[in-house]
Amino acid sequence: MTTPALEAHGICKRWPRTGAVLTDCSLRVERRTVHALIGASGSGKSTLLRCLGLLEPPDAGSILVDGVLAVDRGIVAADRTIRRSVGMVFQEPSLFAHLSALANVALAPHRVLGLDPEVAQERSRAALERVHALHLADRRPDELSGGERQRVAIARALVMEPTVLLCDEPTSALDPMLTREVMAVLRELALDAGTTMVIVTHDLDFVAAAADSVDFLHAGRIRISGTADLLGTRGLDDELDRFLQRS
Amino acid sequence: MVAAADDGLSRMRESGIMRWGCDISGAAPFTFPDPANPDRIIGFEVEIAEELARRLGVRAERFSADWLALIDALDADRCDLLINGFEVTADRERVVAFSRPYFRYTQQLVVRAEDRERFASLEDLKGRPIAVLNGSASIDSLRSAGVPASLIIQYDDSLAPFTETVLERVDACLQESLIARFYAGHDPRLALVDATFDPGVYAVIVRKHDEALLASVNGALKTMQADGTLGRILQRWGLWSDAQRDLGTDRGPIVATIPEAIGTPPEDGLPWSLVLWSLARAAAMTALLTVVSMPIATFLGLLLAIAILHGPKPISRLCRGYVLVMRGTPLLVQIFLLYYSLPALGAWLGIPELLTWNKIIVGIVCLAANYAAYEAEIHRAALHAIPRSQWDAACALGFTRWQTLRFIVVPQSWRLSLPAIINDLNSLIKDSSLVSMIGVQELLAVALGIGKASFAVPSMLVAAAAFYLALSLLSDWFGQALERRARAVRSLPEPLHQ
Repeated sequence: MTTPALEAHGICKRWPRTGAVLTDCSLRVERRTVHALIGASGSGKSTLLRCLGLLEPPDAGSILVDGVLAVDRGIVAADRTIRRSVGMVFQEPSLFAHLSALANVALAPHRVLGLDPEVAQERSRAALERVHALHLADRRPDELSGGERQRVAIARALVMEPTVLLCDEPTSALDPMLTREVMAVLRELALDAGTTMVIVTHDLDFVAAAADSVDFLHAGRIRISGTADLLGTRGLDDELDRFLQRS
Repeated sequence: MVAAADDGLSRMRESGIMRWGCDISGAAPFTFPDPANPDRIIGFEVEIAEELARRLGVRAERFSADWLALIDALDADRCDLLINGFEVTADRERVVAFSRPYFRYTQQLVVRAEDRERFASLEDLKGRPIAVLNGSASIDSLRSAGVPASLIIQYDDSLAPFTETVLERVDACLQESLIARFYAGHDPRLALVDATFDPGVYAVIVRKHDEALLASVNGALKTMQADGTLGRILQRWGLWSDAQRDLGTDRGPIVATIPEAIGTPPEDGLPWSLVLWSLARAAAMTALLTVVSMPIATFLGLLLAIAILHGPKPISRLCRGYVLVMRGTPLLVQIFLLYYSLPALGAWLGIPELLTWNKIIVGIVCLAANYAAYEAEIHRAALHAIPRSQWDAACALGFTRWQTLRFIVVPQSWRLSLPAIINDLNSLIKDSSLVSMIGVQELLAVALGIGKASFAVPSMLVAAAAFYLALSLLSDWFGQALERRARAVRSLPEPLHQ
């Protein structure tokens, strides 16, 4: 059995004021697979993803990236190379406003990996090409549409060649047209390029077409795990039924 | 070196220089810019100082600062002695030592010409406000004559009491006789009241412990008085009166009064080309102070803001405290404190070079340190305005906190803070005039100095304002260029090794 790309065991997280958001969440993401986290708003999907992305230290539990311990009993490892192996795409593209699209992508390879500017740019062009955004290389972030911005943000994460790409509702801020544009890119990355991906999404069509495994979260717990077939079932779980009905 | 500093005389002999303190923008006929050539400082005390130095076998070197700050400057060893119309008073004798007197003055009451008959003495002015020069012996004279403090109106500027009298804001002013004669003696709107009173004397001031220096100064003054040299100087400046004989001053051969000694507005107007040239150089000083201190303040402010927001708690608190203190205390006080505590600080730290820190450097350090506190708040607001999501995105890409600040957050916050910083640059141009208190000859000080000596304060102020406006427009233009540059989006990362 190969080492999974990402593994989480017993993740717990509570906010001081509002109480528990995650209780004992465990998951396992195999290489070259797409893992979807679904659930109603407030079920803890995004918080779980932020924990997996090492942006939020969990109160308890451990996370292994490529078999390496990144979070141990709630404490995030100091080693930055582990962080780099987890790429992230957020709800908001959060492009660096002072840099062109190309520079947005090239900044981290240049400054974090220490690559020469030319090499960093070459890699960044390739990453932009993968999301069909090479023609946008010299544009400023405020000259891009929402969908274009999100594609550049995806390229910015991909250029670091992460072991796993985490996507947190990447289309929640976009209209249906732009949503299709971004989801098409993600689908291509997942199905054609074999990118390992954990995605929080409300887009069940995408889940049905691209996800290899699905976790349904409810009230901070992983209530049901399964394959994309889960979406077609009825009567398995009341909460899942209710969620599927509303979506 | 430190040992020699304790003894002014031996140090003076060693260096061959007598540093004498005065305020060149104070008043005529003491030490003032020549109206015909504002670069030249003239006055009867300039001549006394030069003669005194000659007799002590050294060269006279003028040290200038605001009159009210001169005694502190002497204490701080910025100069060896003071010659600037210091009246011998009991209050002053407690802190400094006076030489034998070199001039005898009386208090002169000045009223509006039309009031000449109405106000013939101090009694006639009972219950009316009287203007005086701040810190002068006129205040003591009025107090001992029973005038209540509320009716003694003090001005920092020796010319203002006359102007206030002319403008009818006060009914009279009391000034020492030679100032009154210079400024009001030839003004048809003003009249000198005949009844003079409360005579007093001027003397050279040295530090209390400088006994050897005091003895030499007294010896030299005595011979200057006896051989008629001092009498000749006083005659040249139209200051001779028989009362001077009481001090042991011989009149010497009769000489004519020089034209500079007579305070009249120049008939053919100010020598504008010379005046503007002086102002232009003073404006260059103002520009220098601003151009050097503002970038330092901006950079220091950024470091402070970063330390406050992201530093470890003790450092963050310390920086917060710095901002509070620097913003909460007057810049003027900071300038004084730094300038006059440097020698002591230098001795304490074992760095005597601090003593010789130039006034301009002290001015720049103070302006930069003070403005850094204001810039820190601007940077702090701008850093706060960068969304949290930028930090998340950078963190996910593996940037360290410091790298995130350096390459992502600060380049963006800089654009936001720039307009406010340019605004502060504008006010720094004008605040830089405060360093004139320690004698830096910047725009406002030079304009006032020339204005007072030439009876042209209003027009000199307008001229100074025009120069300030020009500097301000320049800074705006520079600010706009900077903003354009900051707004431009960089297409490539900067080279790795800069």
